[in-house]
Amino acid sequence: MISEKNTVKRIGNQLLFTGPTLLAFIAVIIVPFIYGIYMTFFKWDGISSSMPYVGFNNYEAVFNDTKFWTSVWLTIKYVAASVFLINTVAFLLAYLVTMGIRGQNFFRTAFFSPNLIGGLVLGFIWQFMFNNFFTSIGEKFGWELFSKTWLGNETMAFWALVLVTVWQYAGYMMVIFIAGLMSVPKDILEAATIDGTSGWKQLIHMVLPLMVPSFIVTIFLSLQRGFMVYDVNYALTGGGPFGSTVMASMHVYDKAFQRFDYGVGQAEAFVLFFIVATVTIVQVYLTKRMEVEA
Amino acid sequence: MKKLSSLMLVLILALVVSACGGNNANNASNANEGTNASTNTGSDSDAKEVKITILNSKSEIHTQMTNAAETFSKAHPNIKVEVISTNQDQSPVEKASALYASGTPATLAMLDAGDIEKFADKALDLSGEKWVAELAQPNEINGKTLAFPFAVEGYGLIYNKEVLDEVAGGAFDPATINTTSALEELLQKIEAAGKTPLYIGSMDWSLGNHFLAIAYAAQPDTDVKGFLEQLKGGSADLVNNATYQGLLDTFDVLKKYNGGKNDPMAVNYEQSTAAVATGSAAITFNGNWLITELLKSNPEGEYGFIPVPVSNDPTTKANSAVAIGATKQMFIDNEKSTEEQQAAAKQFLNWLVYEDAGQQFLVNEANVIPAFKNITLELNGSLAVAINEYNLAGNSIEFAGNFVPGDHWKVLGASMQKYLADVTDRNGLAAEIEDYWKSVQ
Repeated sequence: MISEKNTVKRIGNQLLFTGPTLLAFIAVIIVPFIYGIYMTFFKWDGISSSMPYVGFNNYEAVFNDTKFWTSVWLTIKYVAASVFLINTVAFLLAYLVTMGIRGQNFFRTAFFSPNLIGGLVLGFIWQFMFNNFFTSIGEKFGWELFSKTWLGNETMAFWALVLVTVWQYAGYMMVIFIAGLMSVPKDILEAATIDGTSGWKQLIHMVLPLMVPSFIVTIFLSLQRGFMVYDVNYALTGGGPFGSTVMASMHVYDKAFQRFDYGVGQAEAFVLFFIVATVTIVQVYLTKRMEVEA
Repeated sequence: MKKLSSLMLVLILALVVSACGGNNANNASNANEGTNASTNTGSDSDAKEVKITILNSKSEIHTQMTNAAETFSKAHPNIKVEVISTNQDQSPVEKASALYASGTPATLAMLDAGDIEKFADKALDLSGEKWVAELAQPNEINGKTLAFPFAVEGYGLIYNKEVLDEVAGGAFDPATINTTSALEELLQKIEAAGKTPLYIGSMDWSLGNHFLAIAYAAQPDTDVKGFLEQLKGGSADLVNNATYQGLLDTFDVLKKYNGGKNDPMAVNYEQSTAAVATGSAAITFNGNWLITELLKSNPEGEYGFIPVPVSNDPTTKANSAVAIGATKQMFIDNEKSTEEQQAAAKQFLNWLVYEDAGQQFLVNEANVIPAFKNITLELNGSLAVAINEYNLAGNSIEFAGNFVPGDHWKVLGASMQKYLADVTDRNGLAAEIEDYWKSVQ
């Protein structure tokens, strides 16, 4: 392999192996992405045969669209809450099921299973839970918190979304944390125990720093999924009550496919992409610096 | 050498694959040209086959539509009709534009009324058709009849006849409710009789595109389009608009007697319907499509419509008229279809309006309310009969939801929900409506 001197041959070989993937990548990611950016400079309703060029008007419309910025701000709050809770809960669960308790494999499967249900189904199931199940429990025991449906109140509907998201992703992130916990070298922990370090100190000063690579992955995944959330949003609250839980993706979708304003919708999608890319790049860069070696 | 030959193999494979892709497209257009060629020679009497496609966006009548197409083909052996239906949760516009994008549009496409305008430059002008004279309401876009109204629908306050007959102590006549105060009196009487007067369903589509839209349709000195232009231009002043205020006066009355007023957002479609069907409540706000849901709870029930009053003056037209419009419309493609195909599609439409089999299909199989005065078959279900009576008597205002942008139900439906739940007041609502319309280009 190394002795290939012929450039054509080398490129040919590379193409042979990466070509198909590259082709698929270009066809389904690069081309639509560039075409999407191209579309932001036109006014189009998706059907009309004329597609007039409007320059930066669509971007101007994005900056004047207060509803879009409200939805972005709501998404940021949602991401902050869900990223924190998903990772905390997932880490605790992972710690719990690696302690060697009885039936821990069963618990691992059980905690992971919500992630196997699609977001849409999950949303509908929880809609029923909030509207009927919790309210009847609240009625029976006289609990104020559950007396009315969470989905009818602007603040509670937001927390309902966060709760379902945490429930959906905690198990998934738990699996990543389990792998991380397993790979923490046992010898250094043993040495620390012999030296008389408490379990708590071991966790804070040894296990957590060694788990930074896992955290990079889980925080990245939960950030990106949080920003892009649509299915749970759609199925659980549908943006209600009173349009108070319309997240950024839903706003973009409505703009493009309900209002048939493809140009502005596409421009908003691009702005959203830009925000998500910036946040995740900064996150990966910052957390990478916290990595240590045993 | 071996490597080079394997590379060549891959390249050849890639070529073959892409060539196949190209071929497919060619085949499709060839097939089209094939039918075109055959239809071109088909004007003489030993007619060659003409093939037309119908895009049906009422997915629930797919089977009936296919059967109707077969019946039609039997009567017209040289026309072959193929029916494509959209999926239940697929937007008709999406399907229609996908067909256009692939170069094989349906000859006849059924869309929601508000979407026809987007296809105006692709639709055949049908103003010269015979059935235009039979329309109960004109169906024009910029002075031209571009689409065939397939189904008429209407909405208002739906009441349970049994309950209101009991309350009225005799046959209840909905025409007696022609002012807001008359409505309030009626609701009071129902309450005194120990029944829940009404439920307001909190669905955003119902509040936004149906209830609020009455304010657009009931304007005394302009039609829906004119008023929407005023809203877009920012010249409509809702706070000082008598119809808007009158409609909300009525809404306040409805809110006062709403059976779910303690948690108004929890009243949903199924619940409000079941209450009226079983007679535990007398009235709800909805449209004739509710009949399927009503019959689920009570197959014997009889129902009727009370108009939504917008003033205390009995002579106001909207006070004795329900909102009625053709919500599903069909247009004939004028871009790719041949003249023969267009003629065949026109023939199909005429068959629906004038032939017995076509009328039977519309009324008894598709269960729709036809938009044509000449169809006198008895309609299925009390709500359809009621809408048809209002329609033929001219007691109708426009179905303004047919003229609003696609996100209207969601955005202003949410605003109406706020008003329903007392989260905002009238002026706040007016401001939200005005802001929304100014954002529409």
